[in-house]
Amino acid sequence: MSGGPAVRISIESSCEKQVQEVDFHGTETYVPPLSMSQNLTKLAQRIDFSQGSDSEEDGGDGEPRDREWVNQETEEEEGTVKFQPSLWPWDSVRNNLRSSLAEMCVLHDVLSVVKGKNYMALDPVSQDPTAGKTPQVFQLISKKKSLATAAQVLLKGAEKLSKSVTENQENRRQRDFNSELLRLRSQWKLRKVGDKILGDLSYRSAGSLFPHPGTFEVIKNTDIDLDRRIPEDYCPLDVQIPSDLEGSAYVKVSIQKQAPDIGDLGTVNLFRRPQKNKAGAQPWHVKLEAAQNVLLCKEIFAQLSREAVQIKSQIPHIVVKNQIISQPFPGLQLSISLCHSTGEKKSSRASPEKPKPDDHLYVLEHNLHQMMREFHKQQLSSVVMPHPATAPFGHKRLRLAGPMAYDKAEISSLQQSEGLLEKIIKQAKHIFLRSRTARTIDSLASRIEDPQIQAHWSNINDVYESSVKVLITSHGYEQICKSIQLQLNIGVEQIRVVHRDGRVVTLSHQEQELQDFLLSQMSQHQVHAVQQLAKVMGWHVLSFSNHVGLGPVESIGNASAITVASPNGEYAISVRNGPESGCKVLVQFPRSQIKELPKSDVVQDAKWSQLRGPHKEVNWSKMEGRNFVYKMELLMAALTPCP
Amino acid sequence: MYLKPKDKTGERKVSMGVTCVCQIPVTEGKSVQQTVDLLHKKLEQLGAVKQGSFCVDCETYQSTGNAAGQPSKLLYVMHNSEVPLSCMALFEGGPCLTADTNFDVLMVKLKSHFQNAKGHKVECRGSRYRYCDFLIKVGTVIMSSSARGISVEVEYCPCVVPGDCWNLVREFMQSFLGNNVPELPTVFAAKPEGLFAPADCVDTMTQYLELFNKLRKLQITGSNVR
Repeated sequence: MSGGPAVRISIESSCEKQVQEVDFHGTETYVPPLSMSQNLTKLAQRIDFSQGSDSEEDGGDGEPRDREWVNQETEEEEGTVKFQPSLWPWDSVRNNLRSSLAEMCVLHDVLSVVKGKNYMALDPVSQDPTAGKTPQVFQLISKKKSLATAAQVLLKGAEKLSKSVTENQENRRQRDFNSELLRLRSQWKLRKVGDKILGDLSYRSAGSLFPHPGTFEVIKNTDIDLDRRIPEDYCPLDVQIPSDLEGSAYVKVSIQKQAPDIGDLGTVNLFRRPQKNKAGAQPWHVKLEAAQNVLLCKEIFAQLSREAVQIKSQIPHIVVKNQIISQPFPGLQLSISLCHSTGEKKSSRASPEKPKPDDHLYVLEHNLHQMMREFHKQQLSSVVMPHPATAPFGHKRLRLAGPMAYDKAEISSLQQSEGLLEKIIKQAKHIFLRSRTARTIDSLASRIEDPQIQAHWSNINDVYESSVKVLITSHGYEQICKSIQLQLNIGVEQIRVVHRDGRVVTLSHQEQELQDFLLSQMSQHQVHAVQQLAKVMGWHVLSFSNHVGLGPVESIGNASAITVASPNGEYAISVRNGPESGCKVLVQFPRSQIKELPKSDVVQDAKWSQLRGPHKEVNWSKMEGRNFVYKMELLMAALTPCP
Repeated sequence: MYLKPKDKTGERKVSMGVTCVCQIPVTEGKSVQQTVDLLHKKLEQLGAVKQGSFCVDCETYQSTGNAAGQPSKLLYVMHNSEVPLSCMALFEGGPCLTADTNFDVLMVKLKSHFQNAKGHKVECRGSRYRYCDFLIKVGTVIMSSSARGISVEVEYCPCVVPGDCWNLVREFMQSFLGNNVPELPTVFAAKPEGLFAPADCVDTMTQYLELFNKLRKLQITGSNVR
């Protein structure tokens, strides 16, 4: 096809006609020959023009001429299209031919330009094999260069990566700080002042009136080396507490006395000061709790010392530095002290202050804390909503004071009168009285074997009152000798003793009173026991007296006496028992048994022999038997005639 | 005679009883203070014990925003140290009310309706004596910073029915006032006879108000004379 305009197209008619079909009788039916135009079309359609289309592009230079061609052709074309629409099938042929022509022209032009050598020269183009010929040095340099470029790319990437890692870490730390802050905020009151974050340690929101501001500052912990490994206990958040709240503090309550008889007052050492950190607790939380505890202790002590100064008592309370000394009972000293130790100085300061390791009254210390909180709550509940907008704050009943015209006495009865110190002194008195009562009973029980004394303490008691049941019995005769059962109600200042029969005796706080009382009860018990025993043995009680008016005077209580007669009335036993003088047992014999009767002028007759004879004292200590009642039983048995 | 029940401690509740307030004329040739001292001496001789001091004050307010033609009424706001948290407001010849001390603040807010007559402030200060069940208060009435007269208040604490104990009170007053014993106060006289009509602090304040008004009039007449 590159023949251009010289393409030879032969148009010829076929000599033979094609046979369409042959009949049975040999007649051939021919296909009617194609007309001239039909034949042409058929031939033209056979030509594949697309074969040479790829050479069309390189005809850039020949464009102007091509234009000319196109212009010429368009004119012609318009003419042909107008007059020969039937030539349509030739159109593609014509187009292709024309483009081929254009290409050929361009090629011709180029060749002519090249040939002229004025504008263009043909040079051989260096192909790949020519590169192999470059020197090795150059090759090396180029390799090095390309490696350097690659390294640079890698380095850049690494740098980017490391930067992003540190950024991430920083972010995480920041996030940690924020999350810690969030956690802090969920447990403590925080507020932002300027660029600082301040927190509130005080119990003011809980009703405290203590003027200490109790603020702490939240700071970001930045003094940590980023390159090193982060220590385990590292926390991005730190708190700064006021210097006067640092360390640990506690309020110590103790009772001192010259005689070491109250050593058993302090119970076991419940909490040694530096409590172990709870696992998982944040360091700031531990720090803040300690500081808050210091604050509360200070508040308690401030309140106590204020009251100690204000309250007028017979023996004034003494406030010295960090100690309040009060005298609940004569010869007794209640001391409440605030022990505040700040970290390092602890060891040096604690040793001289604590001669005895545990003379603490932990119950009272605990109660102090509790009462302070109660006080807080009371303060809070008076301000709590809803309350009338026009009435003054305070007790609900106090609001009525104005409109109901309460006078001074009524108002003062409404106001809480008892302070923290008064309460704690009362509690201390009670605790002291209770422990001393226990000690008195115990010492009596261990000292005196006959009769026995038992004390049953109640487990649950009030802060101001507790009770103990005291039983006095004789060993082996518990069932028949139950006469003495005492209920001791130990109060703040005195002990109330309730007898089984409902009699009430009030004893003061003096130890001796209780001891004397118990001794007299024990002596009475013996006589009661004889009475009970007589009933069991079939003896008759002739006389009985709890308080005998005759005989030697006892220094404590009264002697009691009983006289019992044997079943047949022949013998009589008289017992006199005093708390101090001890027991004296006399047996009266019948007159008939006595050999040397005193001569009497009056009682000569035989009938008088039935009269009672003289008394004889029994040498009681020589009697057989392990205790008084047993001895008595043996005596009675001996005097009862065999049937 | 109806007596107030005793409380747990065995003492009768120390509360407002039947009270009589009267004015004592200044003794001839003596100053107010001297007369008061004389009374104190008499009471101490009797065996009364001094128990602090007392103060009764009264402020006068004039109602302003009245309808035309009506005379403007006076409102007296009084305080008594015996009932420290209360404030009594008495209308001239009308109702009275007891409120808490915030009432003073309320009066400031009601400025447009009640105007404070500043010059009319009256105060009565003095000592408080206790003689068994009797409470005696001898005070000097001060108007515009000058002593105008002497008041004596006697209260019989255990009883709240004036008719039951008036004679007792009068007898007691005779013992140190001599002839200056007053008649039964009008506030009590106005109470229905025989019914249980307890005396309260408003009765006391009414008596004080009457006394103040009397002294005020005296002052005016006195100044006229002068």
